[in-house]
Amino acid sequence: MTPEQQRRVRDLFEQVVDRDPASVAAWLSTEAGGDPTVRQEVLSLLAHHSVAGAFLAEPIADRLPLLDEDESFASGSVVGPYTIDRELGRGGMGRVYLARDNRLGRTVALKVLAPHFVGDAKQRERLRREARAAALLAHPGICTVYALEEIDGELVIASEFVDGRTLREEMDGRRPPPAEVLRTAREFAAALASAHAHGIVHRDLKPENIMRTRDGRLKILDFGLARLVEDEEGDRPAAALRVTHTGVILGTPAYMAPEQLRRQTVDARADVFAFGVLLYEYACGVHPLHAREPIAVAPALGDVIARCMREVPAERFASAAEVLVALDGDTAARQRAPNARWWRTHQAVVAALYIVGAVLGWLIKEWKETPMTVAIFLALGAGATIGGVLRGHLVFTASMNPKQLDGERRRSSRATRLADLLIAALLFADGVLIAGTRALGAVTAFSLAIGILLAALLLEPATTIAAFGDAE
Amino acid sequence: MTADGPMDADALTPLVYNELRRLAGAYMRRERPGQTIQATALVHEAYLRLAGAGAPWHDKRHFVGIAARSMRQILVERARARGAQKRWAALDRVSLSDSLAIAAHEESMLPALDEAMDRLEQVDAELARIVELRFFAGLSIEETADALGSSPATIKRRWALARAWLHRELGGTP
Repeated sequence: MTPEQQRRVRDLFEQVVDRDPASVAAWLSTEAGGDPTVRQEVLSLLAHHSVAGAFLAEPIADRLPLLDEDESFASGSVVGPYTIDRELGRGGMGRVYLARDNRLGRTVALKVLAPHFVGDAKQRERLRREARAAALLAHPGICTVYALEEIDGELVIASEFVDGRTLREEMDGRRPPPAEVLRTAREFAAALASAHAHGIVHRDLKPENIMRTRDGRLKILDFGLARLVEDEEGDRPAAALRVTHTGVILGTPAYMAPEQLRRQTVDARADVFAFGVLLYEYACGVHPLHAREPIAVAPALGDVIARCMREVPAERFASAAEVLVALDGDTAARQRAPNARWWRTHQAVVAALYIVGAVLGWLIKEWKETPMTVAIFLALGAGATIGGVLRGHLVFTASMNPKQLDGERRRSSRATRLADLLIAALLFADGVLIAGTRALGAVTAFSLAIGILLAALLLEPATTIAAFGDAE
Repeated sequence: MTADGPMDADALTPLVYNELRRLAGAYMRRERPGQTIQATALVHEAYLRLAGAGAPWHDKRHFVGIAARSMRQILVERARARGAQKRWAALDRVSLSDSLAIAAHEESMLPALDEAMDRLEQVDAELARIVELRFFAGLSIEETADALGSSPATIKRRWALARAWLHRELGGTP
């Protein structure tokens, strides 16, 4: 058939498809009279249309098995020192069995890693390193890793068997009472904080990786394993974002932080993001991606969740420890953190420099009294007073009223920076005025100006970020 | 957005999330509890493929189009890996026709369907797109119309045409 004929077929089919079948043949004879090929084709397609039944009627995705039915260990089989009891589950990383460690007689969860995970020696070495790091984590909220072993060419990880159900199963669309949400959030954050304190980032937190034991405690599984699927150089989860030929998903974008999806460097704040998403889902019964209405939880908890889920890592809590502090409403503790000491010291030193600057302005006025030096002295005095009062106010707020600190910092940051620049400029001008007569005084004024300028442009942002995680 | 030419996956990440939500939403509305996880996972997989390939796309419609194509590839590859062709070839002519009409052995059908769709594409590319969006990505008639910039009534008739054409191509007997 020519393209022209095919177009005719399509047009005719579309015109007759909803007609009474009895009248179709006659109608077609007139419409496609001159071209028997076209008429035959339309009739043939109509015939197939009438018997197609359920053919392609429903989307296929939901009716296909996701995972391959590949090899698995039967109950009773022996894998090195372990005897398999039964399969507990399977995932992107391999299968998990309930097994018995015959040497110690204890029950373990045995994860047999899928072959594509442990392909080369380099990757095995990484896995060993990560397992060693994860094995150091001893926290009741973290599933303990017992051993990493190579048995008959298979890499297996033996860990504590957590008897219970996953957070995914627990959630199942329900909305737990606020007190339970808060308790879960604290427990979760505390476990995560202990890992972060050891410099270990989970990177693949999701409801399937978190379990509730039968006696109600929370346990995070699979620490350090996500790193396996990342690039050798740095923290780019490139391999995590690949789909294996069997269609197994590695990594769960629904809980990944934006920087993780963009394959940028990942740190504890990626876990903080996932924590926020998880908590949202736990509290609201729906993943934020699918939420159609605004979040409806206690405002304090909502604030914590919102800050965890900020797109820019610097705007999130720096680690789970900070989340925990915020959850406990104990923001004062955050200010007692050693990092904030530097910020406070900086505030005090800059305020002292203001006073030195004002005194120097007075000296210069005494040495060389012109309308200019008098004016500069007055301006210096005013600038030093404003800047000093603002900084004093911030330090006071930090120790007495820490909840308001973030807002106060944002409110006054421009004013203090302006005061710094003004004072530096005035000192510089003063220095120029007396450069011919008082070399030492001029040099002092210049140095002070440069010092205040650098402190404003370099040191202040650094100490502020160290203390609060943002530059404002 | 189209005025600036193609963009890469990174620049469009938030947009992608909106579209993922839309695609996932298409499944959610079907309300088959317990079965939505696989569909959502498939959407994610499709996204990962797009992100992994650094595939540039121009706008939302374009994204939905390649996401659907990607889902077709994923499902067909998986079926091939599981030996679908052999099982499909083992069906005799009568049971094959019955299977088509009652949507049985769908996974085994996928490689043959994929090849038939390649041929359909030569005849009328839009029909192949409609099948990708409806059958593989699970979009409704309205969503498909929106994605192809056509009217729901037209899409509905062309969807019927595409199904009839593929039914014949796969060996169904009228």
